[in-house]
Formats: sequence, C-alpha cells, structure tokens
Amino acid sequence: MKHKAIYIAGAFCLLLMLVHAQTKKSRRGGGPEPFILQLPPGFPKPVYDFSNNRLTKQGIALGRFMFYDFRLSRDSTVSCGFCHQQFAAFGHFDHPLAHGVGGQQGTRSVPVLFNMIWQKAFMWDGGVNNLEIQPLTPLTDHNEMAVDLKELLQKMQRDPKYRSMFKAAFGSEAITSERMFKAITQFVATMISANSKYDSVMRKAPGVIFSEEEQAGYTIFQQKCAACHKEPLFTDLSYRSNGLPYLPALNDVGRMKITNSTADYLHFKVPSLRNILKSSPYMHDGRYFDIYQVFDFYDHGVQVTPGTDPLVRNGIPLSAVEKRQLYIFLNTLTDYTLIKSTALSEVLIN
Amino acid sequence: MILRIFVFYPCWFLMLNCWCASLTNSYRSEPITQIPAEISSLQLSITHMMHNQPLILKTVEYRNPSGESFTITRFRYFLSNFSLETAAGKMITLPAAYFLVDEANDTTKLIKLNSVPTGTYKSIRFLIGVDSIRNVSGAQSGALAAETGMFWTWNSGYIMAKMEGFAPAVASPTHEFLFHVGGYKTSDNVLKYVSLSFPQPVVVSRDKQPQINILADAGKWFAPDTISFKNVAVIMAPGVNARKVAANYQEMFTVKNIAN
Repeated sequence: MKHKAIYIAGAFCLLLMLVHAQTKKSRRGGGPEPFILQLPPGFPKPVYDFSNNRLTKQGIALGRFMFYDFRLSRDSTVSCGFCHQQFAAFGHFDHPLAHGVGGQQGTRSVPVLFNMIWQKAFMWDGGVNNLEIQPLTPLTDHNEMAVDLKELLQKMQRDPKYRSMFKAAFGSEAITSERMFKAITQFVATMISANSKYDSVMRKAPGVIFSEEEQAGYTIFQQKCAACHKEPLFTDLSYRSNGLPYLPALNDVGRMKITNSTADYLHFKVPSLRNILKSSPYMHDGRYFDIYQVFDFYDHGVQVTPGTDPLVRNGIPLSAVEKRQLYIFLNTLTDYTLIKSTALSEVLIN
Repeated sequence: MILRIFVFYPCWFLMLNCWCASLTNSYRSEPITQIPAEISSLQLSITHMMHNQPLILKTVEYRNPSGESFTITRFRYFLSNFSLETAAGKMITLPAAYFLVDEANDTTKLIKLNSVPTGTYKSIRFLIGVDSIRNVSGAQSGALAAETGMFWTWNSGYIMAKMEGFAPAVASPTHEFLFHVGGYKTSDNVLKYVSLSFPQPVVVSRDKQPQINILADAGKWFAPDTISFKNVAVIMAPGVNARKVAANYQEMFTVKNIAN
C-alpha cells in the first residue's frame, strides 16, 4: 500500500516534468512568434523566398499597420490601402489611373494585390524584381506617396508606437528600410486568394458544383482565355501585347521601357482574373469600366501591331450568349474570404 | 504491478537519455583541433582626382576632352567583391562587403577590409558596383539600403556609380548633367572588375595593417570612348550610354603608394 503511494507520486512527478518540458519548448526565446502560412492545395511552389524573411505574427501586424498608415506619404494623406482597397481585391475601385499626394496622377491603373508570392516580377511592366522592394516604388514616386525614404525612416524612428512594433517584430527598436520592406512583404504575403466558388468546385467540396451557365462559361474560358489566364493563378505571368489601341495622351510603351527591346513594345503583364468582377476598371490604364467592354474589345476591338500576341491577332469572337456565360463564370472567381478577411482589413491609425 | 511498470519504464528511459546526453556533451566539449589562419585587416584610402588635381565639388570648373567646361556636384560609386592575390599568385576572396564611396563624405573614402589572412600580397581585385545577385535579392541593409538613393525604383537595380553636375553645353534650361550608371542583366551589364598591382609587396600581419593609397580620377569617365555633354547629358537607365561610361571609368583607379 505504501509502495503504491510512492509510485503514484512518482507518476505524477513524471507527468509534471513532461508538461514542463513541452511549455518550455514553445516559449523559448520570447521573440516574435512564427506564423504558418496556409498554402492552397494545387498551387505551385511560391516564387518568393521566405528563407530570409520568416513570417511572424508581429512582423505581419507591423506590415499591416504600415500598409494602412497614411503618415507614410509626404503630406499624410495617402496610405498603401488608400489605393489598394480590400473590397476591390486590393485594387482601386472606380479609378482608371492611380493618383497620389497633391492631386498627382499616374499613367497606369492600380494593380490588385493578392497571390503576390507567386509573382516573378511586379508592376504592369515587370520592372520590379523582388516583392520586398516593391513598396519602394509607390512610397517614393512623386505621383503616389512622394516621400523621401530617409526622412520617413527618421520620422518613424521618433514614433514610440513604431519603435515598439519594430522591437516586437525584429528584436530591436531600430527602424531600417530593410525591416520596413520585409514587414510589409510579410503582410502582403498573407493576401492569398484561393477560396472562391471556383476553388471549391475544383477541390470537390461537398455540395458545391457549377450551375449550368457557370459550367458553360468555364468551358468558354478554357477554350478562349486560359492560354494566357492560366489556372490556378489565372495568369501565366507573361508580358504580352493584347492589341489594346495605343493612347498617345499616356504614351505608355509598356515593358519596352524595362528591356530596351522593341520586341516588348506595348507589352504588359497578363493580369489575374481572380476577383475580376470586384476590381474594375480594367486594362493597364483602366480604360474599361465594365467587363462587357472587355469582352467587346476582344471580340472586335483588337488593333494589330507587329508585337500583338498571335493568340489575339484575329480577336476572340464571343457571341452574346457566350459573353453572358463567361460573365457568370467570372463571378465564381470572386473570393469573399479575401475581400472580407478581418486579418487583412484596415486598422485604425491615430 | 501495472502501476510499477508504468513508472519504471519512463524512469529507465529518462536515465538512459541523461546518460547519452552527458556522453555527447563530453564529446562536444573537446577542443577544436583545426587551427584557424591568423586574421588581420588592411585599409584602402581613396582620393578623388580630376586629372592631376584633387577633385573639388561645386566650385572648381573642369574641362572634358571635348573642351566642354563643367562642375561636379555629386560623385559616388559602389565597391564590392574584394579579393587579394598572394605573393605566390593565389587569389584570396574576402568576405562579402559593400561600400558606397562618396566624395561628399570623407569617412566613406576610407575602406577597412576585415578578415584578411596574414601574408604577403601583390595585387588587389574588386568590383565597381554591386554584383547581380544583390540586385535581385530584395531589401538590403547598410550601404545597400534603398534610402541611399542608389537604387532605381521603376526598374529594379543598383545605380553602380553616379556623377552629377552642371555644364553650359547641356541643352536643358538647368544645364544639369546626370550620369546614373547601372545595369546588371547580361545585355545591360556595367559591372567592371578592377585589378591593381601593388608597387611593392604588401605585408599583412597581426600587428601590421597596411594602408593602400588609391587615386580615382573622375576625368577618366569621359574617355577614351568620348562622352560629351552635347551628346549625352542624362543617363538614368541601363543601356548603351551607361555601358560606354562604365567602360571608361573602369580605368580610373591607380595605386599611389603603400603606407605599411
């Protein structure tokens, strides 16, 4: 009987030791807590290399705060989220051309932000070669946030809230452009769009099927659009001239400016069709406000130049019924998980 | 009985574990047998010149080979990827380090190369600019941080070297010339390696950190491939003119002397 008591006490002690070892392991260091990004099944391996920028809860929180902080612009009026609106799939609702501080206007439309970790290069012309340095362009462009990066870093260093957030995310209060860009990248990396009705159908989620018209639209998409707007990203990430008539007022030569090659004249990145009905207006200069204008353009508006892509040289004929079916299919690409995610929504800056 | 087994087994397991851990620990605490090579350092001191005179920003007027007068307001460039050639002809690659040399900032003209193995050297080799890998690797720190203004925002890549100033021959209303030389992709590559032989063997030892005095002649930017302000006033993208200037400036460095 006495022995039994000793054994029970021993067993209890062992249990305590084990529990203690476990909690010690999970709390080690007390630094930023790792964040595990759930990658959607069926997607390719991300292009972005996370090895030098491991996601952490505090890093993402800092990135999110900066994304919505209008004080990052020269006159404290424009934040990243000012143009990249969540309800428009992080594009700019109703704005054909991007605009920034002091009434300045750019020459291209605001690109949507999601699935960025699968992009090889950024901007409509692919001029930016790494997700981490993408924020540099809108921050410093005089048509956008127009800030002097050095001054901005000094301004942020004076702010106690930023100092504590940088410490939480990176272990010290030093505010550097490298940390700033990496934190914004961490937040943007979490903008993943892979939970639309289309995705549920592809994953054979129980009870989710395409309607007859959605299915018909999907078939048209596969026949007439999927060569460039390749699944599952709905872009093949290439640069092409789709025959969109050149606008002298904007004089945008596209990717030729980046490569110095006339072969890239009027070439722009193939945009994703995910969330397309939430991210009007369309094309690199936002000239079409309605998706039916885009259908009409491909049906009979293509202007062939020497660089025009062979796939659209003869246009893409679409009947009225096909346009309707395509429209109904494109609706299934709207991802309310992205658009309504409370983890991505605007934070109050005061 | 069952309870006894339940408690004894984990106890045995724990004891075994402790024993193994102590064994491996004792292995680990053994001294490392490999003796590291002795490490010291050396310094490069760079003086900017215009032909045979020290370069002076803003106030002194110079003349290029085309006879055009000009002043310089900004003169800066990256140096990186240093290696040293030993007296025996072996190349020693130094750890990655990037320096932005700026005429306006004297401290940047003194470059300390750490982790130099002790020995005797006969030449030095380095890159003018930032190697292509760092051009595509995202956010960087120190000399390579974006806020130095040496990184193109619209077409990613470092501006490897920059010369700015004023010349009456420039047709624009401000008469300003801007030479921003960059480009790391194959067709636009402006990356130039420079090899400089030392006039005498340079001995680096534990208590000897020699200083190599180097001259960099800004006048070399304009020749032998003639660059005249009338024809080229603004270079702000990779391309033909950037490659021309880089081919010229790769000849701008000479070793003045060694201060042992």
